[in-house]
Amino acid sequence: MKRYFREWSVFVAFLAILLLLAFRAPDFFKPAQLLSMLCDAVPVLIAACGMTLVIICRQIDISIGSQFALCSVFAGLAASNGWPMPLVGIVAVLCGAIMGAFNGALVAFLGIPSIVVTLATMVTWREALRWWREGEFVSNLPDTFQWFGLGQQAGQFTIIAIAVLLFLFLAFALKHISAGRFVYAVGSDKEAARLAGIHPQKVTFAVFVLMGALTGLAALLNAVRFPDVDPKAGQGLELKAIAAAVVGGVAISGGRGYLWGVAAGVLLLSSIAPALVFLHLQPQWEKALQGLIILLAVAADGWRSVRKKL
Amino acid sequence: MTNHSSPDWKAFLLRFETLLIAVLLAEIFIFSQTAENFTTTGNALEIIRLSVELGLLALVMTPIILTGGIDLSVGSLLGLCAISFGKLWRDAGLPPWLAALCTLLIGAAAGGLNAALITRLKLPPLIVTLGSFSLFRGLAEAITRGVDNFTGFPASFLFLGQGYLFGVIPAQLPILVLAAIGIWLLIHRTTFGRSFRAIGFSPDGTRYAGIPVDRRVALVYILSGVFSALAALIYVARVGQAKADAGTGYELLAITAVVLGGTSIFGGIGTVHGTLLGLAVLAVLRNGLTLSDMPSELAGILTGVLLLSVLAGEALTKALSRLRKPAGAKSVAPTSQPKPQT
Repeated sequence: MKRYFREWSVFVAFLAILLLLAFRAPDFFKPAQLLSMLCDAVPVLIAACGMTLVIICRQIDISIGSQFALCSVFAGLAASNGWPMPLVGIVAVLCGAIMGAFNGALVAFLGIPSIVVTLATMVTWREALRWWREGEFVSNLPDTFQWFGLGQQAGQFTIIAIAVLLFLFLAFALKHISAGRFVYAVGSDKEAARLAGIHPQKVTFAVFVLMGALTGLAALLNAVRFPDVDPKAGQGLELKAIAAAVVGGVAISGGRGYLWGVAAGVLLLSSIAPALVFLHLQPQWEKALQGLIILLAVAADGWRSVRKKL
Repeated sequence: MTNHSSPDWKAFLLRFETLLIAVLLAEIFIFSQTAENFTTTGNALEIIRLSVELGLLALVMTPIILTGGIDLSVGSLLGLCAISFGKLWRDAGLPPWLAALCTLLIGAAAGGLNAALITRLKLPPLIVTLGSFSLFRGLAEAITRGVDNFTGFPASFLFLGQGYLFGVIPAQLPILVLAAIGIWLLIHRTTFGRSFRAIGFSPDGTRYAGIPVDRRVALVYILSGVFSALAALIYVARVGQAKADAGTGYELLAITAVVLGGTSIFGGIGTVHGTLLGLAVLAVLRNGLTLSDMPSELAGILTGVLLLSVLAGEALTKALSRLRKPAGAKSVAPTSQPKPQT
């Protein structure tokens, strides 16, 4: 319990918001409302899972918002050209993986700092997309695209189910599969990991590829919720994902973090906006509150570790 | 670590800056062919006029990155300060000079918040300023409820951003020149500024050398807050209105200018004139593309490609020189979290 204090406190904060809503605005708990809130959280959750791995590996990726937009557009174009849905999914994931591999190669093999690499690719992809599509929505999508052709409710359940299964798999893999442990090892101490027979460069590269692939999947699961594909989708996704990871107890200095804590972080951060609406407060406070939660979470961390040292 | 590599670095930096100058000259040559009014004094001054705010942010970002830190919140703080200035002037009825003074204080306080979290609680600057990035922009949006904007500032204030001294020199140019000279002297000519590099290389070693690391680091973040506020005032005066989205994305442009100028993102290495060159490369690119009727998106794409190719070139040269050295003399590259000797 004490070891996971950080993660539990995020859960408690989330439960506190739910409790407040239960008393002040019971309407919040209508199934349709909850489903749509969870669906909103799915892309952030998937991106945050990837980001968690990247951060545990002591890297960062701020280009995923742009990758997300490009993957959405590619998936939409594939679908509107009549490609079958499974192929559309592969297009989205593959497109993300390729962009992730580009980041990963520059970071892992050339040793350029990840924040600079992904800063550059973030601008490049975003502007290239704007140049190419000129902000045009992808429309004329087949009926099989929106909600996978299942109708709204079944579609929402499918999206959430995919996200939950993926999350459980990643959480399991990170803890119990050696590849997952490699990520912690490289993030804790690269040199020690190398001496233990791990290839830090390959692990770093793989983590970026996975980040890209997950971003592609998140983009697909987000795109199928709407009748058209928005080329501006995913703006600020990188910050939401990093925020969720950090709030969920992932140490930015690498080597520490648990995916279930991150899930709590995602739930907490994505419940702010609907909570503000249902409590009849100004929704414009969302960003400020988000920032405040990030600062409080890391300040609590810092305060505890500074006090421990005294 | 004995520092045999110091002359190497000097030679390298020299080459690096020559490279930037070459890029800049190439830009000027190309745009002088493609754009009609590019090579005029008026346009040169216009380029500078439009890049003063970004210049201030890039200048103050240089010492921050030199200490191994980063400040992602400058763009958001610019927005918050712009809104605060508008609010203080219009709703609190303060005269513009007093409102401007209060805005600078707000900037300093906001920088102080970052500084306190980074130095007192030993938190990584990336995360702290990511949080305040969200917080400052969010406050600006909350204060204006996302729609309010402030216009109709008195002409005496707008002169700061739209006026010309002696009819030619943009009124904000002296501010940028003063700031550039000030920061350059601080970093390159004082022991005080030299300590920033020391901190970037090894915070612990610097502390053992008797330098108050926390105080120095706190100072650069507070300075960054003040500069963001100053940039906000110039921005509002230039555009003539204050909105919550003022300065969106400026933090990334400022970091790009600094990194393009040869400052290592890990800290310790970098120059102010490099930053100014990086800024000039970005500003000329943007201006030249607009004047040649080329799509504005190209500026972003080329900026990204330029940044990556410059860094990839640097990484490759470094890898090659490491190959040439005997294996035993492998130098330890400073990392973002330098550890005590292992």
